[in-house]
Amino acid sequence: MKPSHNIVLTLLIAFSCCLICQPTVWSQMEESELSVEIPEITTLKTIPESLTLEHARDGRRVLVSGQTKDGGWIDVTSWAVLKPTSDGVKVLDDGYIFPKTVGPTNLKVTVKNLDIDLPINVKSIDTPPVSFVRDVMPILSHAGCNNGTCHGGAKGKNGFKLSLRGYDPEFDYELLIEDISGRRFNRAFPEQSLMLLKPTSEVPHKGGQVIKPDSRDYRLIHQWISEGVVSDVGKTQRVERLEVLPDSAELSMPGSMQQLIVIAHYPDGTTRDVTREAKFTSSVNEVAKVTDDGVVTAERRGETAILTRYEGAYSTNGIIVMGDRSGYEWVETPGYNYIDTHVHNKLKRLKILPSELCTDEEFVRRIHFDMTGLPPTPEQVRSFLMDKTESKVKREKLIDVLVNSTEYVDHWTRKWGDLLQSNRKFLGERGMWLFKEWIHEAIAENRPYDKFVHDLITATGSTYANPAANYFRVSREYTVAVENTTQLFLGVRFSCNKCHDHPFEVWTQNQYYELGAFFSNVRLKNGRLPGEEVVYASFNPTPVKHPRTLAVVEASVPFGETRNDAADKRDALAEWLTSAENPKFAKAGANRIWSYFMGRGIIEPVDDIRSSNPPSNPELLDALTKDFVESGFDMKHIMKTIARSRTYQQSIKTNKWNKEDTINFSHAIARRLTAEQLLDAIGVATGSQPKFEGVPKNLRAVQLPDSKVKDDGFLKLFGRPERESSCECERTSDVSLAHAMNLINGPTVANAVIDPNGRIAKLLKEEKDDRFIVEELYLATLARLPQDNEYATAVEYFANAESKEEGVQDLMWALINSPAFLFNR
Amino acid sequence: MISLPQAPGRLCDGFSRREFLRVGGAAMLGISLPQVLSLQAKANTAVAPAAPLNGWGKADSVILLFLQGGPSHIDIWDPKPNAPSNIRGEFNPIPTNVPGIQLSETMPKLAKQMDKACLIRSVSYTPAGLFNHTAAMYQMVTGETPDKVAPSGQLDPPSPADHPNAAAHIAKFRPPEEPMLAAVQLPRPMQESNIIGKGGNAGFLGRSYDPYFLFQDPNKDIKLDDLTLRPEVPPMRLQRRKTLLETINANMPEIDKVADDYALNEYYEKAYDLILSQKARNAFDLSQETDEMRDKYGRHTFGQSVLLARRLVEAGTRFVQVNWPSVANGNPNDTAWDTHAANFGPLKNLHCPKLDSAVSSLLEDLGQRGMLENTLVLAIGEFGRSPRMGVSTSGNGNAPDGRDHWPYCYTGLIAGAGVKGGQVYGKSDATGSTPLEKPVHPRDILATIYHTLGIDPHTIVMNHLDQPRELVKGEVITGIF
Repeated sequence: MKPSHNIVLTLLIAFSCCLICQPTVWSQMEESELSVEIPEITTLKTIPESLTLEHARDGRRVLVSGQTKDGGWIDVTSWAVLKPTSDGVKVLDDGYIFPKTVGPTNLKVTVKNLDIDLPINVKSIDTPPVSFVRDVMPILSHAGCNNGTCHGGAKGKNGFKLSLRGYDPEFDYELLIEDISGRRFNRAFPEQSLMLLKPTSEVPHKGGQVIKPDSRDYRLIHQWISEGVVSDVGKTQRVERLEVLPDSAELSMPGSMQQLIVIAHYPDGTTRDVTREAKFTSSVNEVAKVTDDGVVTAERRGETAILTRYEGAYSTNGIIVMGDRSGYEWVETPGYNYIDTHVHNKLKRLKILPSELCTDEEFVRRIHFDMTGLPPTPEQVRSFLMDKTESKVKREKLIDVLVNSTEYVDHWTRKWGDLLQSNRKFLGERGMWLFKEWIHEAIAENRPYDKFVHDLITATGSTYANPAANYFRVSREYTVAVENTTQLFLGVRFSCNKCHDHPFEVWTQNQYYELGAFFSNVRLKNGRLPGEEVVYASFNPTPVKHPRTLAVVEASVPFGETRNDAADKRDALAEWLTSAENPKFAKAGANRIWSYFMGRGIIEPVDDIRSSNPPSNPELLDALTKDFVESGFDMKHIMKTIARSRTYQQSIKTNKWNKEDTINFSHAIARRLTAEQLLDAIGVATGSQPKFEGVPKNLRAVQLPDSKVKDDGFLKLFGRPERESSCECERTSDVSLAHAMNLINGPTVANAVIDPNGRIAKLLKEEKDDRFIVEELYLATLARLPQDNEYATAVEYFANAESKEEGVQDLMWALINSPAFLFNR
Repeated sequence: MISLPQAPGRLCDGFSRREFLRVGGAAMLGISLPQVLSLQAKANTAVAPAAPLNGWGKADSVILLFLQGGPSHIDIWDPKPNAPSNIRGEFNPIPTNVPGIQLSETMPKLAKQMDKACLIRSVSYTPAGLFNHTAAMYQMVTGETPDKVAPSGQLDPPSPADHPNAAAHIAKFRPPEEPMLAAVQLPRPMQESNIIGKGGNAGFLGRSYDPYFLFQDPNKDIKLDDLTLRPEVPPMRLQRRKTLLETINANMPEIDKVADDYALNEYYEKAYDLILSQKARNAFDLSQETDEMRDKYGRHTFGQSVLLARRLVEAGTRFVQVNWPSVANGNPNDTAWDTHAANFGPLKNLHCPKLDSAVSSLLEDLGQRGMLENTLVLAIGEFGRSPRMGVSTSGNGNAPDGRDHWPYCYTGLIAGAGVKGGQVYGKSDATGSTPLEKPVHPRDILATIYHTLGIDPHTIVMNHLDQPRELVKGEVITGIF
C-alpha cells in the first residue's frame, strides 16, 4: 500500500463516524479512493481450504487471504475473482457459491497474478423442506420483527406478539398460526399471506419494508407457507455453536478490512453459512468497526473483540489493529514470576515495551496504600530506604511485613464491608458493628475465599450470634440474593435476565428463577433482642414461580451441576458456587483482587464479566485463577504474588512504545487516593486526627464501620460509597472542581495544617532546623527525600514568609495539594 | 488525494487544539474532507450561523428545571377534558390569563403567569432500549443516544467518553465574562436506581467543564466552606501558596501526565478564581433574600433551589440546572414524578403545589427584574406519562390510577430570551398520545438553548479520540420566537 493511500483511508475512517448521516460524502469518496490498488502479496490461501455443499440452498462463501512480504496475512477477499472450473457450482454476485451438479469440482481463485484452487464437493442438489426453527425463525430475528421495539416488546405491536429476539420458538409458532382471520397464511397463494404482505410493506406496515419481495428471505417464507406452515419445534434442534472465521485477526493499519464468515454448527453435525443473518458488534468501536455484513474495519491501533450473535449462540473473536510500529524491538526484561511471563508475552505480540521499575521511594508508598490503605510514616520510609538489602529482596520483605500487619486487616475489612453492604440502615447499628467484626476476623485469619463465601451463602441463626447471616438482611428477597450473589462472586449481572432471556449473553430468564429457588426457604424473623433478626431455613419453601408461565421453578444452577438432596438448598448452591471446579468463581475473585492492586481488572469492569467483555490477557487471568485455586483460595497468597511481580512494580512513567497502552499493564496506572486513603494520608502527613461522630476516638477513616459516621463532609465528597449496592461502581474516584476547592480552601486540610497538636506545631516547638523540617514534610507527604533544589526553594520560602510557622504551614499545604500526594502512583 | 506528514492513525496528533470550527450553513453536507481539515481550530468560541434566526444570542443565561422522573403532561400542562375517563384522569382544566389556553387545575399560580411562557405540547421521541429513565435523561441533556444501552434501558455509569451535556458545552463556548461558576447543578444528581449522574457532566469535554455540583438542600443552611476565604489565609497568602505549589509541581514532571489526565490544573485555576473573587459565595447566600420572596418560591428544596438559580443567574452563571429533588423509590407518598404506583393524590397534594409556586414565582420574579428578556427558562422532564392509566409501557407494574412512561408525546415549558409568551406551540392529539402538529425532538430543544445563547448548535467539538462531533444534531425551534 502506498502511504498516501493509507492516509486517505485513515482520514475517511476517522471521519466516517461523524459523517454516517451524510452518505453522499462517504460514497463519493469511496468510489474515487477505495477501489484503487491491491496490496502486494506473495501467497494466497482460502479460509476454509475446501468446501462441501450439502443441498441446493447450501450457499457458502470463502475468505481469501494474501501473505504480504513481511509475512503477515491480509484479507483480499474483496479483490478475489472466483471462477468455477466446471459446471459443478455457480458463484453469485455477492460471492456466495451454490451447487449445480453433484460431485467434486474446483473453483479458481485469482488475485492479481496469483491464483489458487478451492476444492468443492457437491453432495446433493435437492431442495430440502424449509425448517421453521432453522430457516424461518432466523429471518424473523434478522429482519428485526422480534426486537424489543417491535413485535418482541412486552405487549407486541398492533396485536401481533413474538418472543423477544426469538428466545421461545414454540411460543412464536403458536402465535403465528393462531390466525384470527385466516389471512396470515394463504397456503394456496402464499404471496397473499399477511406474513409476506406485511414485512414487504405491500399492505400498510408500521415497521416499513423489512423484507424485500423476491429476496432470499422472501422465497424461504414463501416456500414454508406453500409446504403447509409446518412446525419442527422440538424436532429440529437449534444451533449449538458458532464458528467465526478467521478465528482471530490482526489488521495492520487503520483502514484495513477483514471479512468475517459465520458458520452455525447444529447438534446433528450439519453446518450452514449464516453470515447474512448473524449480528455483529465491536466491543471497542474506536479500534475497529464492524458492519452488518461482517466486514471489520480498523480505525486506530488497539484491541477489540467482535461479538457475533445468531439465534441465541455467541462467539467472541479478538481483533488486533497493529498500526505502524516500525523501529520497535523487544528489550529483554527479567520476569519475577509467571505474571510477568504472561504480561510480557502479550506486550511482545502487540509490540509494546514495558516501563522501567519504579523507584524504592515510589514502591514504599504504593505498597503501603495497596496493602493497608495507609501511607507509610516518615520513619517507615526512612528505614526502608536505608535498608541496604538488594532492592528486589527488601521489597519482598516489606510485602510480607505489610500483608501480616493489623492495618492490612482494617483495610480489607473496609473493602469487604463495602461489597457486602455493611451499613446500619440495612443491619441496624449493633448488627453493623457485629458484621464488621465478623469480616475483620475472617480477614485476620486469612479465611480462604471459598470458605468465606460459603459461610455467607449458608449462614443461619441470629444475626447477632452469627453475623454472616447479615448477608440475608441485605438480600432480603430472593431476587436481591440472586443479583448480589452473581455480581459479587461470579462477576456477572443477572438483573437483565430477570424479565427476559439476556439478549446478548447466554443467561436465560429460567436460570434467574432457578437460581432464585435455592433461596426459596430462607426466612427472617425477629430475635429476642432489639434489632436482632434470625435467619432460618423453612420446611415450607415459598415456591419461586416463573413470571410468564407461572410454573413453579425447581432449583438448578446456570452451568455445571449440583446435588439436590440438601435439606437447606443453599448448602448445595454454596458447594457449587465455591467449588474449585466452578470456572467463574475463582476467576471473578482473582480478577477482582488483581484490579485492587493494578487499578484495572484483566476483565474490566470486574463485576460485569460477559463474552462481549473479554479479558485483555486471557492467559494471565487463567494462570492467576489456577494459582488462586491451587493455593486453596488464599487471598494473601494472590496479593503477595501480584505485588512481587515486576509488572506491579513498574513505574507510571511511560515510554514511546507503551504510552498509549491502557489495558495491558505495560506501566503502572496512577489512581486517585480513595476518600478514606486521602483523609488518612492527610492525617499521617499533618499528624492531625480527624474528628468523627459516634465512634471511639483515634479511629482512622479506614477503620470506620460504615458511611453513616459523620465527618466534616470530606469522605462523601471524595466518593465514599453509601454501601447500598453490590457494584464496585458505587465508589467514585474522580476529580472535579468541588474537590479542588475543598483541598485548596476546605476545612479538612486547612484545620489539619494548623492543628496545635500536629506535626508542624511539634517540629516548631522542638526548634528543628529548616532542612530537617523540609525533609520531614516531604517524607510525610510524598514518601521521599527532597532534592537539593527543593530544599532550597522551601528554605527560601520560609525566610520570606510572614512567620516561620506560616511558611511551614504553606509548604505542608502545597505538598498536600500536589498531584504526587493525591494519587497512588 | 491529500497527504499529511503524520503516520497513519495519528492524524490528529498535529492539532494543537482539540476543537475546530465549522463555518457556514446548518449541516456538514457539501463540505469536503480536505476542507474540514483546513478548518482546524483557531478559535475558542462559536460563531454565528450564516443567517441568524429569531432569538439568536438573546440569552445570557439559562435555567433548566429538570423534572426528572417524568411528570404527567395531561395532569399538568395539557389537560384532556374530553378524553375517556381512563385517560382524562381526576383533574379539571382551568383558564389562564391567556384566553384559549388552559392548564390543569394543579397549576393555579402558573395560570396567572401564562402570558410569559410558551407550552410546547408536541415534544416527542423514542429513546434507545426500553424507555427507562437513564437513557431518556441522557438523551434530554446531551442530545445523544448513548452507545451502550442495556436492554432494560439502563446505562453504564457515567464515563469520560460520554457526550457532554448542555452545561458543559455552554461553559466551554460561552464562559462567564468575570470569575463566576459557569454552570451549576443542584440540589441533587440526576439519577435512576443506582446509576447516578449519567448525563450530568462534561463527558469527553473533560472534567474541567463539569458544572459545579451543589448537592445540598438550599431549604436548609448550605455549607460552602470551600468558597469562603479562611481568616488565617487572606488573598495574598493564598496567592503565595499557589506560587509555591506550582514551583513544587514543576520539579516533578513525571506526575504531569496524571495531572493532565484528570484536568487537575484547570480545576485548580478555576478554584483559585472563585475563591478569591467571593462572588459565588454571595450568590449562594439565600439569606440576602426577603422572607416574603423565599415564601413565595416555596419553603421546600425545589422552591429554594429555583430561587437560588435566579440568584446565580443574576451573578453571571450561564447555566443552572435544578434537578427535581426526589427520584423514584417506589413510595407513592414521595414526591418523585415517577408515578407508577399512584398518580393523582400525590400530584395534587405533593408535587404540583411545589412545581406551581416555584415556576410561577420564577417567571414573575424574572419579569419584574427585567431579566426574562435575557434568561431562557425551561421546565421539562425526560418524558411524560402514559395517557391511559394502569397500563404498562415500560415493563414496570402500574397501579390502576398510575401512569407509566410516555416519551412519544408530552409537554415542555419554555419562556424568556425572546420566546413569545402566552402561546402554545405544537399540538397533541385528543388523548395526548401523539403530536398532531410540529413535533419537537429533545435535540431541537437543546439546539434552541445553544441558539439563544449565541452558540451555533452545529459547532464541531473534538471528542476524546479527536473525532469531530456536533454539539447537537437538532434544529432550532424558530416558531416559538
